[in-house]
Amino acid sequence: MSVVHQMGHHSNNLIDLPEMSAYSGAIFSPINCTEAEASQQIDDVRNSRKDFDIILDPQLYVPATQRGKLRKWEYFPKDVDSADLSSSRWWSDLNKKLSTVSRKIKVNSVCSPVVIPKAFDDKFYSMSVKVCDDLLALSASQKVRVFQTLLVNLSELSDAARSPQIASIISRTEADEIYLIFVSSVIPRRELTAVDDLVGAMRLIRSLEQDDLKVTVGFCSSDILLWKTAGASTCASGKFFNLRRFTRQRFEEPTAEGGGQLPYWFEEGLLSFLREGDILRVRKQDLFSEASKRNPFCLEILALIDGAQQTHADLKPWLKLSWRQFLFWFANMEARLAGREITSSDLLSAADANWKKLDKAKVFMEERDNDGTWIRDWLNVITEFQAASH
Amino acid sequence: MDALELVARRICAKRGMRFAGQVGEGTFKQTFKVLNAQDTPLALKLYKSVGSTGRDQREVKAMLRCQHENIARILAVEKVANAGEEHVAITEEFFLGGTLSSKGQLSLKACKAIGAKLIGAVGHLKELGLVHRDIKPDNIMFRADGVTPVLTDFGVVRDLADSSMTPTWAPRGPGTPFFAAPEQLNNEKSLIDWRTDQFAIGVTLAFSMYENHPYKMGRTSGLEILERVAAREQPGDWFVTKAEQDGVPVLTRMVAPWPIDRYRKPRILGQAWDQQKG
Repeated sequence: MSVVHQMGHHSNNLIDLPEMSAYSGAIFSPINCTEAEASQQIDDVRNSRKDFDIILDPQLYVPATQRGKLRKWEYFPKDVDSADLSSSRWWSDLNKKLSTVSRKIKVNSVCSPVVIPKAFDDKFYSMSVKVCDDLLALSASQKVRVFQTLLVNLSELSDAARSPQIASIISRTEADEIYLIFVSSVIPRRELTAVDDLVGAMRLIRSLEQDDLKVTVGFCSSDILLWKTAGASTCASGKFFNLRRFTRQRFEEPTAEGGGQLPYWFEEGLLSFLREGDILRVRKQDLFSEASKRNPFCLEILALIDGAQQTHADLKPWLKLSWRQFLFWFANMEARLAGREITSSDLLSAADANWKKLDKAKVFMEERDNDGTWIRDWLNVITEFQAASH
Repeated sequence: MDALELVARRICAKRGMRFAGQVGEGTFKQTFKVLNAQDTPLALKLYKSVGSTGRDQREVKAMLRCQHENIARILAVEKVANAGEEHVAITEEFFLGGTLSSKGQLSLKACKAIGAKLIGAVGHLKELGLVHRDIKPDNIMFRADGVTPVLTDFGVVRDLADSSMTPTWAPRGPGTPFFAAPEQLNNEKSLIDWRTDQFAIGVTLAFSMYENHPYKMGRTSGLEILERVAAREQPGDWFVTKAEQDGVPVLTRMVAPWPIDRYRKPRILGQAWDQQKG
């Protein structure tokens, strides 16, 4: 049971922070650095944290993408625009290069390459398994673990049969670990709310875990609550958390340079991302959770806000603090869930009660859609998942 | 005299063997018992028509790849012409110990011993990328010692590396429905793998021990049982309880409706099977 960093642009400076020690590893993305830079970052990490698990995600999801530095990597296929993606040989050639690069930059693990398909059909999943098994065979002698990457179209999981179908095919993999990514069209900063889809997603995780396949759910946000309840071994998140939800559109965005973003505070008491004004409103209602009161980055953010108010000065930027505040909460909450100090249902029920208090006090968040309505959806998701599990 | 029997007799005459009679008939072929010059009994299988389905070639190709104590071995293959038609003749070992169906109700001890051997056999098939698809008591025979089971009749074997011969429009895939997994009954080709055989072994052992299909509920008919399997309902409570009481709970997971809920690897199934108390 653990959490890992989903590395973004210049995320490496987060790894060494003492407050991030709960993160047992990181999923490196070739988008944000060259091979040489990645190699240097990995060496640096190894110097400070020997047991840190370094996983390479080759990011072949949209082969034609021009994002970041991806095309500069040695394994990235030069013929990607004209390649026959149904060719086993093409994948095998890619795997050979990927295996070589993995060894060269000294990662512990590599995720099998997959593309976002036009249709998430059974043939796509069968091919994913073949590609992974090929990479596994190539990597076995190099002591590099291989994750079976599993891309799932979240909206297809509302069909109750789809989860066991996908799980049945993907569990043919020779790998022992699954890197699971839910592809959705839900826009950044909005919670996933389709109850049937989410129940299906939880059933998928549970089925794979029960078959001794350790699941790492990538690109998590506050939905970690659901994935942990389903039994996911590991959840990954990054500083961009909800801003970088895994949608096809994210590959059409310009490479993030860290600018142009608004800072958010994640409040466990509401299970919601708060803007600056919201933070003050929620504090006035005395609805900060104990987790927030113990989060060192919450204290820093409040000190900045209070300082600016007292001195009538401009508020100093707190974007970096907001990333850290979320990531600290993410790891801390996972540890409490894993240690059975709390349950997702209790957290959701408490948040539901707090949203009710805000409604009664006529407190509204700056963003119209930030109204807590997903909380009751998630409570229903857990109830339905648990009913289906018995 | 049946045309294929005539062919069988001709082969015997040509090879210096003695014809001893017909012992079985399936959809695609007939099996005859013959005796070689040393009086060793052999099984002579004759396909009804060469090339009509292509399954004959797949059966031979698959069996020739197998090297396992609990899988029947091919001794010779030849093509024989008769009355303008060509037949494939396969000579295999003849198993003097009879079939599993001829043994009557199995004891728990026998079930465990046979189960362990069959799991080993399908593990071998899995390594070769083969799925038998017709495991049932009639296709499990015993060597002369009466205790060594042998998996026979690879007539509908599926090589996962080859393209499927079953049309997608077919309502169900080949195999014997009573022992078939849901993915076979529903012709869900993408879900067929070694776990399909695992299901059939589970049903075969359960049926041989309890004389009932694990999905039987009360007075359900054979057809209703098949409907329950195809609809992926759960095995009957009586079966789950009995398997637990008898110390063979692994059987319950072997016959789970979805492949994901069965054992993922033969090695894991084998270990779980051996560790049972029963």
